Amino acid sequence: MNLLYAIVIGTLFGSGVLLMLKGDLFRVVAGIVLVSNAANLTLMASGLTRGQAPILPLDPGEPVADPLVQAMTLTALVIGFAVTAVLLALSLGVYRSGRSVDLDDLSEQETEEALEREATDIPPDEAVL
Amino acid sequence: MSGGPTKPAVSGSAAAAIGAAAVLLVAVAVLWASGGGRIDLPWAPAWDLRLAFGVDGLAALYWYLAAGVGVLVFTYASAYVPRHLAHDERPRAEEWRVHAAMTLFLVSMVGLVTSEDLILLFVFWDLTAIASWLLIGFDRQKREARLFALMALLITTVSAVLMLIGILMLRAEYGTTQLPELFRLAEPGTTVAVAAGFIAVSALAKSAQVPLHFWLPRAMAAPTPVSAYLHSAAMVAAGVFLISRIHPLLALEPALLDALLVIGLASMALGGVLSLAADEFKRLLAFSTVSQYGYVTAMLGVGGSAGAAAACFYVLAHALAKSALFMTAGAVTEATGTKLLSESGGLARRMPLLAAGAGAAAAGIAALPLTIGFFKDELFFKAAAERGTWLAILAVLGAGLTFAYMARFWAGIFLGAPKGDVQHVERRLVWPVAFLGALVVVGGVVVAPFADLARSAADVTNGGPVDLKVAYHLDTRTENLMALGAWATGLLLFAGHAVITPALRWVERAGDAMGPERLYWGGLRLLNDLSDRAHDFEIRDLRSRVAAVIVPGGGLVALGVVLTPTAGAYAVGSFETEDIALGVTLVVCAIAAIAVTFPRGHLALALMLSGVGFALATAYALIGASDVALVAVLIETIFALLFVGVYALVPQQVLRREARRVEGRSRMVRDLVIAVASGIVTTLVVWSALSRPIPVDGMAERHIELADDAHGQDVVTVILADFRGLDTLVEITVVGVAMIIVAAAVRTRTRA
Repeated sequence: MNLLYAIVIGTLFGSGVLLMLKGDLFRVVAGIVLVSNAANLTLMASGLTRGQAPILPLDPGEPVADPLVQAMTLTALVIGFAVTAVLLALSLGVYRSGRSVDLDDLSEQETEEALEREATDIPPDEAVL
Repeated sequence: MSGGPTKPAVSGSAAAAIGAAAVLLVAVAVLWASGGGRIDLPWAPAWDLRLAFGVDGLAALYWYLAAGVGVLVFTYASAYVPRHLAHDERPRAEEWRVHAAMTLFLVSMVGLVTSEDLILLFVFWDLTAIASWLLIGFDRQKREARLFALMALLITTVSAVLMLIGILMLRAEYGTTQLPELFRLAEPGTTVAVAAGFIAVSALAKSAQVPLHFWLPRAMAAPTPVSAYLHSAAMVAAGVFLISRIHPLLALEPALLDALLVIGLASMALGGVLSLAADEFKRLLAFSTVSQYGYVTAMLGVGGSAGAAAACFYVLAHALAKSALFMTAGAVTEATGTKLLSESGGLARRMPLLAAGAGAAAAGIAALPLTIGFFKDELFFKAAAERGTWLAILAVLGAGLTFAYMARFWAGIFLGAPKGDVQHVERRLVWPVAFLGALVVVGGVVVAPFADLARSAADVTNGGPVDLKVAYHLDTRTENLMALGAWATGLLLFAGHAVITPALRWVERAGDAMGPERLYWGGLRLLNDLSDRAHDFEIRDLRSRVAAVIVPGGGLVALGVVLTPTAGAYAVGSFETEDIALGVTLVVCAIAAIAVTFPRGHLALALMLSGVGFALATAYALIGASDVALVAVLIETIFALLFVGVYALVPQQVLRREARRVEGRSRMVRDLVIAVASGIVTTLVVWSALSRPIPVDGMAERHIELADDAHGQDVVTVILADFRGLDTLVEITVVGVAMIIVAAAVRTRTRA
């Protein structure tokens, strides 16, 4: 099981990274969701015992699943949810201010603006050395 | 703020600093008179670190110097710093910064010299460096002061990292950083040689020895009291202190001692020559310090009873005289407004007390009879002559150089035709000099107390009793003949100064053109450029930022995986019939994750993502985590809605344009390589983590037992709501704040 868990978690993480490297902001968010899924599954997989759900009354003969990792994972899930919601809302904000959801477009715009500013403004502070 | 610039009263902060120094002086006097003392408290018991302080002879010597000279220099500073601030039109309220940093320095120095644990010593070592940075950069409105403060900090703390490495090597080998233990356990070998060598390098950098000497003349950017303290009795002395402290380790490796001897002689020669070439008071004195600590380093390199005795006595005699000379330089500059020898002269009649005090101190450095300095050279000559004729000749030449530049310094300021006006200066700028000058003379007559202190210090350095006897002898013994030779050489150099000046200036220019200081600036510029380039890359866009975190972090993790021994680290684990359902669900989950990376359309992306989430929720349900599964289902549902909802707020053509975008082939390959590599590293890390043996007792049993007491049936819920209730409260707060941010972001009207 260890190996199977590890491979599945690795696949989730790798796919997440691939998405995070894209230009499209929504794909970046999707990538972050996948990476946090990988983290949650790791937490769950690291439970010390497996067995019936830890809900009383317990069946005395059966092993019980480790409740601690479940509590941790629940916390992680909820926080991950809040983060993703904020990221999506921010993506929307980025679209509204830049008229695009693509990082390449946005950095191009930024560079152009910076060049314009440099052409008109006084030069930046002199270097330390 | 009462008191004009001519006669300012002693401020509260200055009084506090003087008081602290006086208390510490009394403390060391009492402690040393009562036979020393030890404190040993646990600090970090798990690492066997102890707050172990002890007052032995070596600690007492340096503590006496730091506190005793401290009282005088702090008194001097109480008059000097207000004048200094007034010259730069800064408010006098800034005065406390100097006094606070000097006191910090004094306390760190006391901690440093009494530490019996190398880690503790290292902490105080860096504290002294920080205090010195604050002090050298006191004139923070001046660019040079900032640059040179940074220079002193970098040279002394970067080399201190070598020291830390050396300490950790010793700890790895012998399992302790306690010095007495180490001295008992250490045996000659590569580890001790390399470790002690590293520590010595850091000590030599602190003592401004060649080739790391260049920071000291630059550190003269500090106000004069700072130079009088740090650059004579305290900071640079810390370097030779450390060499004395670990001398029993160094002595195990004769090659290290020889290296010390060579570096000491080189510093002695270079410092002497550059000091003779200098025109600025403080530059002359700074190079003189390089040269004088060169003597000490050379003597520690000679080692043995004679070397240790000469080194310890030298430190004592030099510190007394050199602080007086630095304070003289400051007082003269305040009185006449010049910092240059070529612009001064004839002050002896105008400032007789200062001239007398400075004369005694200069005579002390130049080793004239009836000063304590005579004995420092006597011991020095004796140790050198014991080692060999060649060293004796070099010693005489070095002492001759010292005589020459000291004569130049004193005669240049106090003799000759008067130049320019002389302003009145406070008595507090003069009498510390006079006091130290008197002490130098007293030491030349009643030498026993000084010799006793130096002997106790030398005993520690040598790791055994030392034969230190000093007295005047009116006969033709070697030391006396060498002293005569040194004075003759010195007089010759002094008289012929005009003739040799071009040669001296040439050495100075050659040093500027290709000395180690150029390497420092070059290295600093290179690092700055590298950092600029990394910064430019990092801030280019979001992707570079993510990469700047993930790539080095992942690299380090991968390195850890590669370097960790693999035997037994990976276990495939059992797979039983009842695991089939879970196995299939997990495989589905992995396939869905890969599938998320394919679709072009955004709706498909969101649905695939939910697919992964629901598959995971199923997996959670299969391993007895019903609560997690339930929450996962809820969250995945909201995710799908959120994604679709945000899509609805972005115009369709923007999304369509994004979907139609085609990536370059090379970028696709690059992204794929990064993704696969990070996936593999993650797999390995998780696999090895999951393969670790399961501890016998988990928290599970206890949690289950306690759940009943908490009147709950569902253990997970009880953990969240009861055992870790505060965590959950914070978590809910985070979600609440996140929802407020989302609401605000979604409602904000588009800018026109």
